[in-house]
Formats: sequence, structure tokens, C-alpha cells
Amino acid sequence: MRTLLRGAALSVSLFFVAACSGPADTTATTTTEKTGVPAGFSVPVEYHTLDNGLKVVISEDHTAPIATVAVYYNIGFRIEPRNRTGFAHLFEHMMFQGSENLGKMEFVKLIQRNGGVLNGSTRFDFTNYFEIVPANTLETMLWAEADRMSGLDITQANLTNQQGVVKNEVRVNVLNQPYGGFPWLWMPQYANVNWYNAHNFYGELDDLDAATLDDVQDFFDTYYAPNNAVVVVTGDVDPAQTLAWIKKYFGDIPSADVPPIPDISEPKQTEEKIAVREDPLINRPALAFSYHMPERNTPEYYAMGLIDQILLQGDDALLVQKLVQEKGYTAEVSGGINLLGNMFNYNGPMLWTASLIHDADVDPEAIMTATNEVIEKLRTEPVDQETLDRALVKMRSSLYDTLGGFYGFGRADLLAAFALFDDNPARINELEAEFREVTPALIQKTAQEYLRPTNRTVLKLVQDQNPEAASSEKGE
Amino acid sequence: MKTFNSPFRLIVLLAGLGLAQAATAATAAEPPEPAPPKPFTLPETMEMQLDNGLEATLVPYGSLPKVTVQVAVRTGNLNEGEKRWLADFTSALLQEGTVNRSAQEIAGAVAAMGGEIFVSTGVDETVIGGDVLAEFAPDLIKLLAEITRSPAFPESEAERIRGDLLRQLDVMQSQPQATAQEAFSESTYGKHPYGDIFPSAEQLQGYTAADAREFHEQEFGAKRTHVYVAGVFDEAAVREAIREAFGDWKPGPEVLVNVPESTPEHRVILVDRPGAPQSTLILGLPVVDPSHPDFVPLQVMNALLGGSFGSRITSNIREDKGYTYSPRSTLQDNYRVATWAEYADVTTAHTADSIHEILKEIQRLQKEPPPEAELDGIKNYLSGVFVLQNSSRGSIIGQLRNIELHGLSEDYLSTLVQRINAVTPETVSAMAREYLPIDDLTLVVVGDLETVKPQLQELDWIREGDLK
Repeated sequence: MRTLLRGAALSVSLFFVAACSGPADTTATTTTEKTGVPAGFSVPVEYHTLDNGLKVVISEDHTAPIATVAVYYNIGFRIEPRNRTGFAHLFEHMMFQGSENLGKMEFVKLIQRNGGVLNGSTRFDFTNYFEIVPANTLETMLWAEADRMSGLDITQANLTNQQGVVKNEVRVNVLNQPYGGFPWLWMPQYANVNWYNAHNFYGELDDLDAATLDDVQDFFDTYYAPNNAVVVVTGDVDPAQTLAWIKKYFGDIPSADVPPIPDISEPKQTEEKIAVREDPLINRPALAFSYHMPERNTPEYYAMGLIDQILLQGDDALLVQKLVQEKGYTAEVSGGINLLGNMFNYNGPMLWTASLIHDADVDPEAIMTATNEVIEKLRTEPVDQETLDRALVKMRSSLYDTLGGFYGFGRADLLAAFALFDDNPARINELEAEFREVTPALIQKTAQEYLRPTNRTVLKLVQDQNPEAASSEKGE
Repeated sequence: MKTFNSPFRLIVLLAGLGLAQAATAATAAEPPEPAPPKPFTLPETMEMQLDNGLEATLVPYGSLPKVTVQVAVRTGNLNEGEKRWLADFTSALLQEGTVNRSAQEIAGAVAAMGGEIFVSTGVDETVIGGDVLAEFAPDLIKLLAEITRSPAFPESEAERIRGDLLRQLDVMQSQPQATAQEAFSESTYGKHPYGDIFPSAEQLQGYTAADAREFHEQEFGAKRTHVYVAGVFDEAAVREAIREAFGDWKPGPEVLVNVPESTPEHRVILVDRPGAPQSTLILGLPVVDPSHPDFVPLQVMNALLGGSFGSRITSNIREDKGYTYSPRSTLQDNYRVATWAEYADVTTAHTADSIHEILKEIQRLQKEPPPEAELDGIKNYLSGVFVLQNSSRGSIIGQLRNIELHGLSEDYLSTLVQRINAVTPETVSAMAREYLPIDDLTLVVVGDLETVKPQLQELDWIREGDLK
């Protein structure tokens, strides 16, 4: 995804990988096309479910002597308790505060003294915890993740401390940061109507303060069970040995009755929404627009993936050409499907969003007029095959980046999402074929239905809604 | 322009084990011991040199069918003189087409290769780079050469680019972290381009396509350029493409050397941000640069003191006190200079408390060598990070560029782990004493001064006149 603004992540933060500017390469089976250079790419996938319901995915990759361990729980911020906004994320922090055999900071120290990096993050439909480590330390990592899946051991002091840390996270990323919540935090609150999709998932500071140790225990007991999780291991590992260790350390953790996911659906939007939000910290206004996505895994969903490539990704993208090169409204148009991840790692209603920072003397209406020109063309005429082919090539390249990216974590992330949401991690190897099915006619049909102005929310970010009124007030 | 130390990107912090281990409960199980480390060998590199002085390094890596190419030219803000961001302006115009192709044609060509290209302007280096599907490696090299060597510099696009840079400047100046960095850099390096990081709006408005053309003509050339190729590629085709695309380029000027004076000195710089819920802090000073033998032990010291999740300062002001979310100490370098600094955005009410705790941790390390186990944890961590740094196309190139920029020895990478492991607890303590004298630290605070000043008044470290 193109990023202009800092991609603020709901995360425990502080995990450090030097010069992490490019994707890691991986080993896997490759096929060779006419160029003599490998062009197809397939990821090995082993999938198991233990007796307690824990899903396990293992994917070998012997490029470098490193391994990634990723544990994903099927609990995202979307479905956190109604009177506890931001709780799913606060809870994520608590998973680093102490478990049965590892006291506060000991988990972190254990990973680091084994030469690894770690993090956790909270997203729409999952919370994840992962370590990227030298491959020889794999067993230690599995033991540690199993330890905190077995139970937490934290105090009120730990909770109070992390309430302070999380409030400071919200301050540094949003409250004291120009464009801080724009558009990733604000847009879902305007575009969606179902509370699960439309609340402040970073959390109101009051709600964060209100959290109790009982809330923490309840949340853990409800969602952090093996039958609500997947363990993914990728990298330079022996799959049989890895599975044996996972059975040894996770196999005895009891399963729990996990409540069904509530109704998170969004009703069909029938009128365009326009919202204006103030951010007193900014010097230049900004504009974002979002459209509700087609349902995940439908033909239209894959078509939207390619529409995103056609409109937004890369310098050749039509909106970039129009708004940056031709009109000069901005230096960059950012956005994509799921601003807190990618088009694969969510499971519910989602937005496709574009955003830009512009000058005060440019009317947002002019920007939307130029945008409409581009989008209406896509809705009224089939794209030519060359444009579609280029979108496919970009998609293929971007998939490889995801699969190889961040030292193998990108691959683990997709495998986890496909295991949790589709019970089928092998989907990772079917994506390219799904995109190849998309025709110019399907692109047009999808654009007609999903790029309707009535399916859109426009968010204008301004320094001051009533500059004149405000200045006269100041004068009094 | 400078890369700010944005706290939410993945930041290079060589990190490590934190405070002394808390005693585990008597019943606690011990983690299983790791297996012996697997052998790690650095990816092999192949060097090339052309008659005009251009150098190239090829690194076959991985099997995922992609390739990264970077054309690194030793010119940047350092070469601007007083024309701040003229290098950025030039880089932006480099992307507006060549004498043969329009920007739109280039964008189409890049997309058809399944890739993206970029031009980034650093203080010491400008990089024209890209990342494409493996089969297009030679095409990408030719395209990047065309952009590097034959830009069109269309005057028709200059106004738009000026507007973009003005907007960017305005946005950066609204960010408390960028504001703090500007103050710290200027106090460290003065009006030298390493220190004077923002242009004025008037200055930006004055740049024309002709200025960019002149800058490019004077500052770009083969002798200043190193081409890096990493990933999956056909070696013979890549070598041929480099020769063909760069072989007849002018040698151009030698690398410009212009190292500023920088002396550690007690300074307090306060920038008011009325009503700010946090204070943005930088506490740091100039230290020795990467070419100095103490730099590796300094990195180890930094990792233990503030450079990681488990480090002492982070354990203290985040995990114990909850004053902040993303504190970190870093070593930042340019050619023949470097700084050490602790960066933190802290709750306004605990601004002085945070400074107090940071100073306390520095002093504790100066007085007492760290426990052996704590240091061993750091060394293991740094060794692990080293493996990661050599496990992706982009980071492999990043490491090689760093060695080239600082003129480090050829065996720098192959001996790094050994040098890390040679650092003793006493050395760590000595590094803190030698390079972090607290009386010579510079403090920058961007925050609500009405609240912050009375707090600072109470700090022993603050001297009379500091808060005027």
C-alpha cells in the first residue's frame, strides 16, 4: 500500500530491525517461464489441527537460518466490549506483562537474549504476537508462546503501568500528532454505522482508564483459547520436529467455549456521506475518500484488488496520474484496501480508501471532480487488456513482496489469516489464479456497484472549521 | 532531506537484554535451551569497476523472483551549499521524465516490470532505485541509468514540485519530532548542511529547473556512483546492462568531503508547543563516527542503555513508570560525524521526571559495569539482528552502502560479530563515561513550556540561565 502518512500501528512497539527496507527472499518451489528466470512461486504449506482445536501451519524456507513464530488469536478490536473502547489493544500490551513462568519483561528479555525481535499488534479481526529469531532457538520461542497462552500472571501495578503506556501511545500517534488519526482511525468511524466497525478502536482515554484486572482476566478466558488461535512457524525449520514441539507445549492447554462473532455486517450504503473533522495541529488540509468493499473472496473482491492496482498503486496508477502529475494537487495519493494491513488479513466489512494532503487554496470539490472523472470512466467503459495486464503484474509483484517481506513475517501473516478466517492456509498459493480470472467486464461491473458515489464517504480534514468565527472569538 | 527518527517506523536500534533479571518464582519452569546455532555465511558479493570510475556490487540472493537495484550517488544536501533542499528539488525533478521518455511513459514501463522506482535524497547520498520482477533486472538497470544520467528537467513541472516541497516543509514543521530534530541538529552542527535541515519557504520558491539542471551537471558522475544489484538475476545480463548503461558516462567530480566541527556542550533548547499533551525530548551529543574503533563498543553500550525494548532506559521510563510509549536511544551518523541521543515523547506532567530517570541510567552505567549476563544478552541480540540484516535484499544493500559511505574495511561485516563479542562489561561502562559525559549533553524539549519550565527548574542538571 502506498503510505504518505505514518502508518500508525496499534502495537506494543519497540521492536527493531535494522535497515528493514526490503523484503526478505525465500526459498520455495519455483517454476521457470520462458525468460529463464523463475516466474511462478509456490509456498510449502503444512496444516494441522490439534485435539484442543489449535490450528498449526508450518512453512519451510531455508534461505536464511531464521524462523518466524506467529500466534494469531481470533479477536480483533472490532468486537471488543462496548464500554471498553481500545480494550483489545490494551489487552495486547498485557500479554507482555507476565505469564505463569515468565515475569514482567522476562518474555521480552528471553527473545532478545536469543537474538530475536518481537512484536504484537491489534487489528480489525485478530491480535497477533510474533518473534523473528535465529532458527536454532525455535523450541524456546514455542515454549514461551505456549506459556502465555496457558495463563497470565499480572498485577494491578502492571495494568496501571500499561494504561499509562497506551495513553502515551495514543498521544504520540494521535493527540499530539498532526494528521495522526487521519484517515486510518477516523474514516471507519464516519463510513460505518455498525458500532463494531465504527467505534474508536484506539480507545477513549476514559475507557482505557476504566479497565480493571477482572476485565483482563475475562477477556483472556473468553478469547485466548487454543481453539480460537493459530500458531504459524515459517523459516529454516524441520516441519516434523516443529509439529512435535507444538504438540508438546500447546497440546495440553484446554480449549474454551468461545462466543460466536456478533453481527458485524454493514448495511448497504445508499447515500454519499461527507464529513468534516478538525485537527488544530495541521498546517495544510487533507482529504480522504472511502468505498465499502465487496464481500471477501467473491469475484468482485478480487476485481477490487486489481482496481486498487489500476487506480492507486504505483506511479502509473490513474488517480496518481490525475491528481499528482496532471493537476498537481498533491505530491502523493496514499491508500488501499485495509489501511491496517492488506486485502487478505481481515474478515468482515472493509473500506478501500485514498487520501492526500493538499493546499488550502485548492477546493476539495475540485479534487473530487477530478477523482470522479477517473472513477466514472472505470464505471462506464471496460478497461483495456493492457491496463488489466499491468495491474496483474503489479499484483503479482506485490504478492511476492508480501510473501517474502519482513524476514518471512509477511508469509506467516497470510498463512495465519487464511487459517483463522478460511480454515485453508493453502489459499496462499491460489491467489494469483483468482486474480487471473478477473475480466474487463468484471472490473466494470464491480466499479459500477462498488465505486458508486452513494457507496462513498468523503472526509475533509481542516485546521479550523470556522476560521473567521474562531479568530473573532480570540479577539474578544 | 534528512530522515527523521520516526518512532513508529521500524527503527534501527541494536538492542538487548534489559535490567537485571527478576527472580522467577521457585516453581517456575525454565525455558528449553536453544539448539546450537546454525551456520551463517554472509551472502557472497561480486564487484565490478568501469573505466570511468563507476563501481558496482552484485549480490545473488534468495529464490523469490524479484530483484532490487540501487544507483547510489555520493551527492545530497551536503553538496547544496546554502541552497537548502536544492538536492531534494533536483531529485523530485529527476522523476519528471528523461530526454527520451515522459514521466508517464516511465511509470508505465516500471509498472509493466511489476515494480516501483524511487529517488531518495539523503544528506550524503542520493539513491535512484527500484524493485522489479526478476526477469526485468537488465531493463531496470537501463531505466535507472537513463533517469540518473539524462533527466529532462522540464520547467513545466517545476512549479508543481516547488508546491509539493513547500507542502512537505509545512507538514514537517507541524510535527513536534521534526521540530525537535531540527533544533538538535542545528545545535550540534550549526549552519552546516548536517545541522541546517529546513529551507525557508522563500528559498524553495526560488528554485528553477535550470538550478536543478546545474546541480545535476556539477554533482552527478560515475566517480561518485556505486550500483547495487541484489536478488534473483542473470549475472551475465546484469553485468552487460551495467556496462552498456553506464560505461560512457562522464567520470565527473570526486566525492566532496566537508566535515563539520561538532563539540559536546551543555545546551538547553526549549520550543513552545502550547497545550501539548506530551513533551518531545532529545537528550544527546556528538560522539565518534563509524570509522572509529570505539564505534562498535559504543553500539553495544547504546543497545544496553536505551536501544531496545529490554534496555535500561526503556525498562525504566516505559515499563516501570509508564511516562512514554516509544523511547529509544540511537546512534545517527553522517560522513565522519555521529551523535548519540535518547528520544522520547513523554507525558507533559512527567517531563522533568523523565529527564531525571534518563540521566540516572546514564550515570549508573558510568559507575557500574553491567552484569555479565545482561551484556551477554545484548551480544546475542546484536548477533541475531546481524543475521536479519543480511537476510533481505534491501537490508543487504543498506549494509553495503553504509560500508562504502564510511569507507570501512572490507572485512567489516565478516568480523563484526567477533568485535561485538569482544566487548567487556568494563568497556561498556568506559564507553558511557568517555562519550556520554552528562555535563556536556544537549537537551531539546518541544512542549507546553508553561507547564514544563517550572518542572525543569527543579532538576539539578539544569543550570542558571538555561531557562531564560
